Amino acid sequence: MATDMQVEERTFFRRLDWNFIAVVFCLNIIGLITLYSATHGVTASSAQNRLFWLQIVYLTMGWLVFFGITLVDYRFFSRSAYVFYFLNLIALALVLVMGRSSLGARRWLELGFFRYQPSETMKLVLVFILAKILSKQTNPEGMGFWDLVIPTIVTLVPTALTVKQPDLGTGLMLIAVFATMVLFVKVRTSILAFLFVVGMVAFPLIWTFGLKPYQKNRVLTFLSPSKDPRGAGYNSLQSRIAVGSGRVFGKGFRRGTQSQMDFLPERHTDFIFSVLSEEHGFIGSMTTASLFLFLLFMCTRIAAQARDRFGVLVGVGAISILFWHIVVNISMVIGLLPVVGVPLPLLSYGGSMMITAMACLGIISSISYRKFLF
Amino acid sequence: MNEFDAPEDDPRDLVARFRYIYIILGLTLVIIFSRLWYLQIIQGDELHEYSEKNLLKETRIRAPRGLILDRDGNILVDNVLGFNATITPQYASRLVDTANVVGKILQVEPEKIIEDVRASRWKNGPFMPVIIKPNLTLDEVFRLKRIRIDQPGLNVDETVMRYYPLGPNGAQLFGYVGEVSQHEIEDYRKKYHTTKIVQQGDWIGQNGLEESLDPILRGHDGLSYTEVDAHGRESAALNKALLDLKPQPPVPGHNIVLTIDEDVQKAAMDAMLHQNDKIGPRIGALVAIKSDGEILAWVSTPSFDPNEFAQGSVNSDTWDALTKDPYKPFMDKVIQDHYSPGSTIKPVVATAALQEGVVTPYTIVSAPGKMWFGGRWYHDAERAGHGNIDIMQAIEESSNVFFYKMGIQLGIDNIAKYAKAMGLGQKTGIQVPGETPGLFPTKAWKMKTLDEPWLPGENLSNAIGQGYVLVTLLQEALAYNTIATNGTLYKPFLVKEIQNQNHHAMQEYKPQIIRDITKPNDAGVLVNKKYLAFVREGMRLVANGDKGTAHWWKIPGVIMAGKTGTSQVVSFSADQIHKNCFNRPFWLRDNGIYLAFAPVDHPEIVVGVLAEHSCWGNLGGAPVVRDVIRAYIQKYHPDWIKTKTLVGKSRPTKPILTETRITHGD
Repeated sequence: MATDMQVEERTFFRRLDWNFIAVVFCLNIIGLITLYSATHGVTASSAQNRLFWLQIVYLTMGWLVFFGITLVDYRFFSRSAYVFYFLNLIALALVLVMGRSSLGARRWLELGFFRYQPSETMKLVLVFILAKILSKQTNPEGMGFWDLVIPTIVTLVPTALTVKQPDLGTGLMLIAVFATMVLFVKVRTSILAFLFVVGMVAFPLIWTFGLKPYQKNRVLTFLSPSKDPRGAGYNSLQSRIAVGSGRVFGKGFRRGTQSQMDFLPERHTDFIFSVLSEEHGFIGSMTTASLFLFLLFMCTRIAAQARDRFGVLVGVGAISILFWHIVVNISMVIGLLPVVGVPLPLLSYGGSMMITAMACLGIISSISYRKFLF
Repeated sequence: MNEFDAPEDDPRDLVARFRYIYIILGLTLVIIFSRLWYLQIIQGDELHEYSEKNLLKETRIRAPRGLILDRDGNILVDNVLGFNATITPQYASRLVDTANVVGKILQVEPEKIIEDVRASRWKNGPFMPVIIKPNLTLDEVFRLKRIRIDQPGLNVDETVMRYYPLGPNGAQLFGYVGEVSQHEIEDYRKKYHTTKIVQQGDWIGQNGLEESLDPILRGHDGLSYTEVDAHGRESAALNKALLDLKPQPPVPGHNIVLTIDEDVQKAAMDAMLHQNDKIGPRIGALVAIKSDGEILAWVSTPSFDPNEFAQGSVNSDTWDALTKDPYKPFMDKVIQDHYSPGSTIKPVVATAALQEGVVTPYTIVSAPGKMWFGGRWYHDAERAGHGNIDIMQAIEESSNVFFYKMGIQLGIDNIAKYAKAMGLGQKTGIQVPGETPGLFPTKAWKMKTLDEPWLPGENLSNAIGQGYVLVTLLQEALAYNTIATNGTLYKPFLVKEIQNQNHHAMQEYKPQIIRDITKPNDAGVLVNKKYLAFVREGMRLVANGDKGTAHWWKIPGVIMAGKTGTSQVVSFSADQIHKNCFNRPFWLRDNGIYLAFAPVDHPEIVVGVLAEHSCWGNLGGAPVVRDVIRAYIQKYHPDWIKTKTLVGKSRPTKPILTETRITHGD
């Protein structure tokens, strides 16, 4: 028995992709260093200092989730996709009815010992259900109109509930995940052309009737933030100043004036990359961005090696969650996109994002773990 | 877990599509790299500077302006502490609310505050505090300080304000300070070839000595840096090593000691404004000069209160009243106003006549009440004439006909030569801005300017100070000083000493002689000192002789010598000339001028008064001049003043005449 156990153990450790884990770990360390700086500024309170230690707790939980999912056969998610999906929809609906309100938005359910954010898990659940549906799709011509109906409905229902909270960022994220997966599977060119035309017509309508004033304002001030430096464009402008002022080598650890002196709002969450860029300069920001893309590259390589269609698609879905978060957040920080509340996976403070990101990476790891298993 | 692979579960067709993901990841890296390169490498320095500005509140510490002192060290222009209410646009996050609250306390329209702050934000940037109300009362200061904590951006700034203890007295001489205008900034930059000298929001001298001595008076502002957070709150806790900027202390301006004597200056203003006679407060100018060219007093009336300007609290009513005042309160009438000298030119013409040999001191000339020349009558102020008189009597009684005859024989060019040698018709070079040169005509001048030949009759009018002749009071005082000092024309000066802030002298100024007309000089005249003595004797008679036009105003124990003058502001017919001037409308009345020096045998002080629309040089000017000379003597030589009236050596005293006689005196 003892020998058997040993063999089992060795295989488990051998099967893990250690390079992959090392890259994730590097990003964790970068995240913690930056978060420490962001939460220990001159103007920081002891409540802010506490966030750093909380993040270590979240990180530990994140790794437990990572290894937990690695050990679970991902096909379990295929089988239970519908159950997860409906439970999550109910949770999203409950948020609207009785969720905790914060800054005019209701996003959480108070579950006694922790706050549950259904829109966050919905990202993963949507990946499962879309992967399950799309894995049946084998038409080499690509998906036709009727093939798209069910995936679209499956996506729009939770998206609508999320946007209603209101949480535009997560809503857009769900659509981005859907779009990525559907396009990956292949859509007929005629439909793409049709959607393009519809989009061109719909955009002005959505702009006029669909967006709340503050949402419009964000887009507008993004386009010319210096018009009102204290107003809505302030965050974008201050973030750009922070990033640029880091120059090549940065101002040094805990020396970032923008981040230490409160000029950067949300610096420990959405604008953590500004802090990093300001304090560690082009070297630091480019290293981190490269690590992120290298991680995504590794994820993609693993997903491409999956044994089955569901594996490939669930991998692509997990990658798309990570990719869109990373790209949207960094683009926002460096002034390529308007300010939307999207955190940076692995770096931003926050339990929900940490668990989601580690879960996505866990799914990839699970695929990797099983690539030769069948 | 080991289930079979269904055929539809073959992922190979999907694997081919991964190349799109690789392409997208590659493109993403390129875009992020380019953007970071742009922000951190290309724009890095600029954004780095911006981040420091973000954090640093740069405060200019105003350098105190130098003081202006009188010759005894009394403060003529002072600095006092004041308070301004300001709003810094960058930090005023609740501007409308703040404007409403502050507007109520300060009695300022909230709309105006909002507009000012928004305008300044565009014009001067978000960090330049905008002054909402200057010169707050203490009550306002306390009330603002109480609400300041709730109103971001609001502040009560201490400022150093200029204070003029003498108020309207000498306001045109000292000038005042005001906020520099955009076009003044450009002027300064051109003049001093540096952009650092003045900046938006600086206060500079805008008139008088404050303007001309501005580079000496103004120090160099210092800078202090306070570290602030995003809300503009000062942050003492900041790690100082974040930035390495040292504060620059301000360098105060230099103090200036003037030749002005505060006591004489006060006496001068008092004498101008408080004469207990039918003329009342004098409109015009007064200048008192020591015999070496030091200016003791300098007054121009009507005046204004420079404190209102220096404190920025002039309201539009006051401003309108001042600018529309027909008697021009802002004009420094000592040097910026020129006028026909009238009979006060006669001592200068007499000097020329004696030196040129037109008359000897003993020549008796017939001086009737009028004279026919060139087809018209030339009149004397005295209808009956003066009979047969010598040149001293002609000065004493101010005979026009005598000087008509001198004018005919001398010709304008000769008169001009002597007048210019004694400083008339040209700038004196005094350090007060806006000096007018006046005019002393010559034949060549008339040909050149008017393109007309000189008419013989013009010799007559110009010889009694009418016609083209225009002088300033300061020029005349210097010319009289030349006669008083036996021929020395001194350069007038106001700055005696420049001191550092500890009152240590850095530079001293000594009297400067322009020329001595009794010695060969650049002006081409050479006057025998004995002739000047005869002129002085004539002038002594003016103030002392029983027919002297100004002999009713004496100082017991001190003998003065002077000359009255009356100049018409418009031309009159013969009848109108003899008509009582006081019956005319005020603005048509003649200007009275009187200049005198004392004591006659060793003169120390020359005082000149221009009393506009006072009708008579003696009535309008002489009492004022007498009061100022007496104030000077009382301060410096109190022992000279005796209770008994001393008149002079040669002629006996006569009792004071009636006023009807006086009106014919000139």
